[in-house]
Amino acid sequence: MAGMLAAAMLVSLAGCNSEGSSSSSGSSSESSSASTSAEDMTDEERIISAAQAGKIGNWGLGNEYEVQALLTKYGQPTDYVSMDFTMDQFDQDVITLASAMTYNELGLVQNDYEGGYGYGDSVGIIDMNDEGVAMLEDMIFCTKTFAKENPNTVRAFVSASLKGWAYACENPEEAAEIVYAAGSSVSSDHQAYMASEVKKLCETDTKGNTVTNYGNIDDEAMQQTLDLAKQYIKLSDSAANEKLQSMTLDDIRDASYLTGELGTPEKTDVSIQLKWLPQAQFMGYYVAEAKGYYDEVGLNVTIIPGGGDIGETTAVNNGTVDFGVTWVANLISANASGMDLVNVAQVYQRSGLVLVYKK
Amino acid sequence: MDVKKLKSRLASVTAVLYPLLFGVVLIALWQSQILHKLLNTTTLILPLPTRILSVIKDNLPAIAADTWATVSVILPGLVLGSIIGYLLAVFATNSPRFGATGLTIIAAISAIPTVALAAVILQWTRDVSTDVDVRSYVMKLIIVTVVSVASMTLNAYRGLTELKPFALDLMKSYAAGKMTVLLKLRMPNSLPYIFTSLKVSVPACVIAALVSEYFAEKITGVGRRIRECILQAQYSTAWAYIVTACVIGIVLFAVLMASEKVVMRRRNS
Repeated sequence: MAGMLAAAMLVSLAGCNSEGSSSSSGSSSESSSASTSAEDMTDEERIISAAQAGKIGNWGLGNEYEVQALLTKYGQPTDYVSMDFTMDQFDQDVITLASAMTYNELGLVQNDYEGGYGYGDSVGIIDMNDEGVAMLEDMIFCTKTFAKENPNTVRAFVSASLKGWAYACENPEEAAEIVYAAGSSVSSDHQAYMASEVKKLCETDTKGNTVTNYGNIDDEAMQQTLDLAKQYIKLSDSAANEKLQSMTLDDIRDASYLTGELGTPEKTDVSIQLKWLPQAQFMGYYVAEAKGYYDEVGLNVTIIPGGGDIGETTAVNNGTVDFGVTWVANLISANASGMDLVNVAQVYQRSGLVLVYKK
Repeated sequence: MDVKKLKSRLASVTAVLYPLLFGVVLIALWQSQILHKLLNTTTLILPLPTRILSVIKDNLPAIAADTWATVSVILPGLVLGSIIGYLLAVFATNSPRFGATGLTIIAAISAIPTVALAAVILQWTRDVSTDVDVRSYVMKLIIVTVVSVASMTLNAYRGLTELKPFALDLMKSYAAGKMTVLLKLRMPNSLPYIFTSLKVSVPACVIAALVSEYFAEKITGVGRRIRECILQAQYSTAWAYIVTACVIGIVLFAVLMASEKVVMRRRNS
């Protein structure tokens, strides 16, 4: 709650800063002298020089593993600067290689709508998928016990949600409007941008191939995620660490709910805890709700927005909510500590994380 | 006489015994999981004391490093803030016209929540240094300093102004100047109030330091680890750091109480 409040404050501050053209023009003139050489740099040189200067940023809290894997790939120490939920540190050159989700922060950096920084084409990105360090992100999960006791409910929920995702990806503009109407925290322009980018994550895998079956669990990408998790998730509890190191795909995912005949749901009133505030990142669920897809399968679904310090894995494991949206790495560390969670639909087929730099 | 002595000794023994007994019972309930049934929680969210202790034992060097990161912010911040607070109180005493207004403003500033303060100070300190370690340290130090100023100013002001009846008149009859009154009368009189202030600001500084770590660009310290562990569902490690935070608070408070005893005894003798 406290974190959320502060984040909201910072976002509003960010808005003020980007309006003040004097500060941004000052920083751009400063960097222009170095820009000729910066543009010639390879990504490897860029990563190494930023790492040496201590100017690589990430949010931490389980979002850092891909960046750490990338740093290891180029022989760099895995330290990074903690970012807040704005791109001010990037704007002010405190961080030269900043973490950004393609569908969120990258849009704010490039675009000039409300809350944007308006860098346009003057920034470049390093993509985790291209670098071979991608970890899978947004997916639907519940506890193994819940899935075992309510298989029809899980199947119905997954089926209706993915129908929502399919519709949202076909009609991203309409999906963005639905999310905005449902109480989005950011502007409708940014929602439209987000929807168009999220569509790409749902329909393209880590290697760049097109995916047509939404929610598909690709074991190869899942294995890469698990392998990187074992390498970079540092657990101080030795019992949890042992559990992490011996974890297999069967401990974290179950693809059986993606297919099969729909039966009568055992539990009809269910809820889903989102990982963050209402935004197009979660458009599939809002569309499924708005289009009546949940009603069609006999479910009454409550969508619970996240934000700040809400732990979606704990909420689902406690039974406070039935389903949740989280990243695979978060589920892995939760299960290592003794939770009993399972991924039932992998909504995002590739990593949405990039490192953004000024050219 | 002997009976009286015996009675007072018994009282001091029970003063320690009862809280100790309460602690033992609580830990027994916790370890036997009766506490979990009472609170309707699981050993996952509230790990057993033995599990927490084993995590602490396995990670002593890391926990020590984080403890130092936190304590090295608390102590200088507390000292700096208290000195500034005391100087402000002296200023308010010597110029009563500004005094009353100044104290009201300071009391108002002290009501700003640390979370709000941290976000603003983070913005201010961006340009302090290109080194993340330095920048983060300065940010946390300022927050802890600000938190400890108000309690010292408000308490010390009382100590400097609420003098024994006629004490000031007596000093005036000696033709003592403002400076002499301050050094010989007001400052000694304020000594117990300094301890009253520290009893408030020590726990407040511990909390401020823990919260300020949430916002720092450098990921270090006991408070930051608690948050990271809880968000990543690592409750046993989170509790290891919660216990560490409690120990920091208790040790600092115990040191304060002991030094109060020594200082006050010396002053009264």
